Amino acid sequence: MISRSAIGRNAQLALRRQCCAKPTNKRGLAAVSTGTTSFSYETADVGGVKTASRDVAGPTTKLAVVAKAGTRYQALPGLTVGLEQFAFKNTQKRSALRITRESELLGGQLSSYHTREALVIEAKFLREDLPYFTELLGEVISQTKYTAHEYHEEVEETIHLAQKKLLGSVAELALNSAHGLAFHRGLGTPLYPTSSTPLNKYLNEDTISAFSQSAYSKPNIAVVANGASQAELSKWVGEFFREVPSGTSALPSAGTQYYGGEERIAHGSGNSMVIAFPGSSAFTSGSSYKPEIAVLAALLGGKSSIKWSPGFSLLSKAASAFPGASATTTHFSYSDAGLLTIQFIGSASAIKSASKEAIKSLKGISEGSINKEDFTKAVALAKYRALEEGQNIEAGLVATGAGLVHGGQPFQIDQVGKSVEGVSAEKLQAAAKALLEGKATVSAVGDLYVLPYAEEIGLKV
Amino acid sequence: MSQPSLATAIKARPWLHKMMMPLANWYTNASGYRKLGLRADDLIPEESETVLLALKRLPPQEAYDRVFRLRRAVQASLAHQLLPKAQQTTPEQDVKYLSPIIKEIEAELKERDDLASLSISKRK
Repeated sequence: MISRSAIGRNAQLALRRQCCAKPTNKRGLAAVSTGTTSFSYETADVGGVKTASRDVAGPTTKLAVVAKAGTRYQALPGLTVGLEQFAFKNTQKRSALRITRESELLGGQLSSYHTREALVIEAKFLREDLPYFTELLGEVISQTKYTAHEYHEEVEETIHLAQKKLLGSVAELALNSAHGLAFHRGLGTPLYPTSSTPLNKYLNEDTISAFSQSAYSKPNIAVVANGASQAELSKWVGEFFREVPSGTSALPSAGTQYYGGEERIAHGSGNSMVIAFPGSSAFTSGSSYKPEIAVLAALLGGKSSIKWSPGFSLLSKAASAFPGASATTTHFSYSDAGLLTIQFIGSASAIKSASKEAIKSLKGISEGSINKEDFTKAVALAKYRALEEGQNIEAGLVATGAGLVHGGQPFQIDQVGKSVEGVSAEKLQAAAKALLEGKATVSAVGDLYVLPYAEEIGLKV
Repeated sequence: MSQPSLATAIKARPWLHKMMMPLANWYTNASGYRKLGLRADDLIPEESETVLLALKRLPPQEAYDRVFRLRRAVQASLAHQLLPKAQQTTPEQDVKYLSPIIKEIEAELKERDDLASLSISKRK
């Protein structure tokens, strides 16, 4: 056994349980698996905390706290990143080092990351360690100390590195710029503060601590598990999430409005161009979900999903004529808005020609020249992507958690598939037409002498 | 490095504490650092990694005040003078501002050592 002074009681218990537990693959033929094979989430409300779980059979579990505290909801620049970096640091009960060592002993993996809407604190571990890690996550969100020295010695430095990384990547710069143009504040806030943001003015351990009080309050979080039964999860969440502040005020969020516009940023290393249009909100948001945008994204495509062929997608056909540029269409969906982006990366002159081709093919779709076969392929791909996202543990966790905290529904895989299947060619044509008639968002980063203006490629901004 | 002291043992026994207080007050006064405007924690030797780190962790205002007190004391010492009564440290001002941080760092280091040298064996 480990000496009592070196390891906390809980880790001792968890370790003991682990070492005398049967190896997980020792299940006899007649024994019943604890997991079901359903990919739907069961939800429950445990003492004010929303929980969802999916009991997929298997020896490992993934547990995440999804907080509605992404960059969209931060009150001051950098708060979300600061809070993300403070995860698993010193708490009232144990030190950051102890958390690390205990999790290592149990074979667990801890991580924290954020998206524009959600802040996710996550643990992956063996199924039988659920109590230990539920307690850990509960402790991290309610009892972190937010000490000044940790902020100065560890957090601040990491944020500066993230800023530098963002500054060096043209693709990220272009995407952030497109979001900023499209949504201004809220969703338009860059994922990481840009390097010229005066962080010292806004960010310190006190502002982060104050933000944590509202970010991690009961109405603002969801606990999502993959590979744990709802009964177990409810039991341990009920026990270990009692001290989470019950906060009455949710984080402020004005509804998102689409603006659009053009921005050009000179950059020395690489070229990237993003053309974006208003998209559809996430499936979990309910009524404002438009599956035809997902199909349009698949039809425009850009990256081939199979080997040794440019694929069926219109952009990959267009871009294959201009070696040196690659195009990708991505549909970013959020709780109340979405952004359909076409991103080009490569040499400036190739981007110039490829972007013109791309707009031409989008105009083709809006005029109704959709090949029947391509359309079928696009629907199939869009359906696959939607279903895969739900089945994929990582994306499914975040989608479900975000759906829950935004008051919608968990990500239910079968319904998504059906709604994508229901898209018709006429609907797609109408959607493309609406996009081209509205204001576009165009952001160019790189060699501005060559990169085209929106006007030159035939877009209205 | 915090100073070695019997204080906790004495404080635990009220009768002894009561007996020692006049002596302690006399001794502190006689050691003279308060007459130079210093606090007891200003006298902790800086030449160790732990204390250097603790000094870095001081809040900016505390760090500034500390340097001010040290420079004033050095100046007074060079001039062979005591500070005027108003500027001398009163017992109420003589608080521990550095040693709690040093203790915290020492505890961190001890925990690190303990965790680094732990041995795990399966229960039989």
